[in-house]
Amino acid sequence: MKKENKFKLSLQAILTDLLFWIYIFGCVSFLMDRWFEKAIPGNFVVIFGIAAGLISFVLGLSAGRKVFLPTIRTDRKWYKSFWGWSVFLILFITFVVGWNLVEVDLYKLFTKFRNAGGIMSGIFNPNMDILIVCLTALAETIYLALLATIFAIPLAFILSFFAARNLMPKTFLGNTVYIIIRTIATLFRSIEAIVWAIIFSVWVGIGPFAGMLALMIHSIASLTKLYSEQIENIDPGPVEAIKATGASTIQTWIFGVVPQIISPYLAFTIYRWDINVRMATIVGFVGGGGIGLLLLQQQQLLRWQNVGVIIWLIAAVVWIMDMVSAKVREKLQGM
Amino acid sequence: MKIMIELKNLQKVYATGTHALKGIDLKVKEGEFCILLGLSGSGKSTLLRCLNRLIEPTSGDIYIDGINVVAAKGKKLRYIRRKIAMIFQQFNLIKNLSSLTNVLTGKLGYSTLIHSLTFPQHKDDVKTALENLKRVGLKEFAEKKTRNLSGGQQQRVAIARALMQNPKVILADEPVASLDPATADSVMQYLGELNKSDNMTVICSLHFLSLARKYGTRVVALKDGKIVFDGTPVEIDEKKFKEIYGEDAEEVEIR
Repeated sequence: MKKENKFKLSLQAILTDLLFWIYIFGCVSFLMDRWFEKAIPGNFVVIFGIAAGLISFVLGLSAGRKVFLPTIRTDRKWYKSFWGWSVFLILFITFVVGWNLVEVDLYKLFTKFRNAGGIMSGIFNPNMDILIVCLTALAETIYLALLATIFAIPLAFILSFFAARNLMPKTFLGNTVYIIIRTIATLFRSIEAIVWAIIFSVWVGIGPFAGMLALMIHSIASLTKLYSEQIENIDPGPVEAIKATGASTIQTWIFGVVPQIISPYLAFTIYRWDINVRMATIVGFVGGGGIGLLLLQQQQLLRWQNVGVIIWLIAAVVWIMDMVSAKVREKLQGM
Repeated sequence: MKIMIELKNLQKVYATGTHALKGIDLKVKEGEFCILLGLSGSGKSTLLRCLNRLIEPTSGDIYIDGINVVAAKGKKLRYIRRKIAMIFQQFNLIKNLSSLTNVLTGKLGYSTLIHSLTFPQHKDDVKTALENLKRVGLKEFAEKKTRNLSGGQQQRVAIARALMQNPKVILADEPVASLDPATADSVMQYLGELNKSDNMTVICSLHFLSLARKYGTRVVALKDGKIVFDGTPVEIDEKKFKEIYGEDAEEVEIR
């Protein structure tokens, strides 16, 4: 092992241990506050944590050492070692804190079912008079998902070539383009469609257009990632062969890369439409229009029989989309 | 006779530090069928790929038909590449396209983007492609996807694609290594015919001495990135063979 490397690993190990014990004391403090209304002051949590972390690291039995410097006594069974028990402790205390934070209450779960009776009877006695209204809203949802997918395809298609490691030349410009597109795609994908919907419902007003824009942004980002990963997995042989004929870069992409990715691209795209239909419902809740918006309105008016119709319709559409997209993808696999 | 390919002190060091070519000097005359021998890793593939710049040489000079290959850029490099066809061990066809389309891609170096996108509309290109497929005995397979062809058939489609370039030089990187012996010989026959009747210069890496003797007019052997033998196929006796392939090697007879 190189010296530099060892130093870096030790640093990672000791930092892990410090955070490990600060977290444990933080959890203890929280629980004491919940149960006895007496928390450990913040600075003491940090001091205790650092002390415990340092002691366990110096004694050489800590979890940080186990992960980053695994040369020391790794053959022991976990229940015979200090790191094993400290990991058990952190998992256990996390579970207890979680139970408290989430306010798990089994008593309510098993005795208060009657509160949901209205919804249940609504679902099983749907109000068929509003079926036409619901179907209109449903069509809105399906079409907005479809448009979001259609608009996303060409953009993601072009971007994916520039986000594929094996196609970008290993020059400064090539690397910069690759990193910028990858970063933006990851960033936009990590922002949920529901957040985009909130932004666009303010921008262009509540309605299906806002929902479409939200899904489109999210689809572009995730299709770019999926597409470019597909490009990175292609057989490099044909690309090399096309290049050797004297083809230009664009010709090499069109004839060497595109034929290899066209059927997985179609499969991903149909899958994306499937996801978009589901997400369109959720997006509707925050101002994206369609059946989601209708569901929100009826739920707030406590019209459970109307809610029932909507729930059945959503379930049916998701089920059909799921089946159709699975079938189509299966067919595409043989191409 | 005219010198077709000339290498001067060609060196290649990969980013990983591997010194693949350690100063290759070589002159190949027009119309020669030059066989490259050598163990895997001796630098044969690197040498072939330097010739059309699929791999960038580290230093040295390459002249093909009098043109400096190393200095070429952009359009100039495309013009050089289209005169040098390449055949690969794994055929490197686009498997979900038809044989005809695969053969047409050999014309890419001569086409503008718009022209290449409308290939099927250009009757003369299609006619040439069909003639080339006929030449390798696959005319009736023109519309078939290449994934449904056998290995030997795929390599013949690749030869038809090479012909489409109307090349002066053919580089073949172990063209028969993934074929059975009988098919291997038939593929070599096609290369031999192009060499004789079209006077194309061929550089072909091989592992079978029997094929080298049958088709080669010259043998160049590489070992650790250097030329260790340069002569005619008949000059390779058992002693020379062991020099190239190591003491433990036995010649395997493929007829």
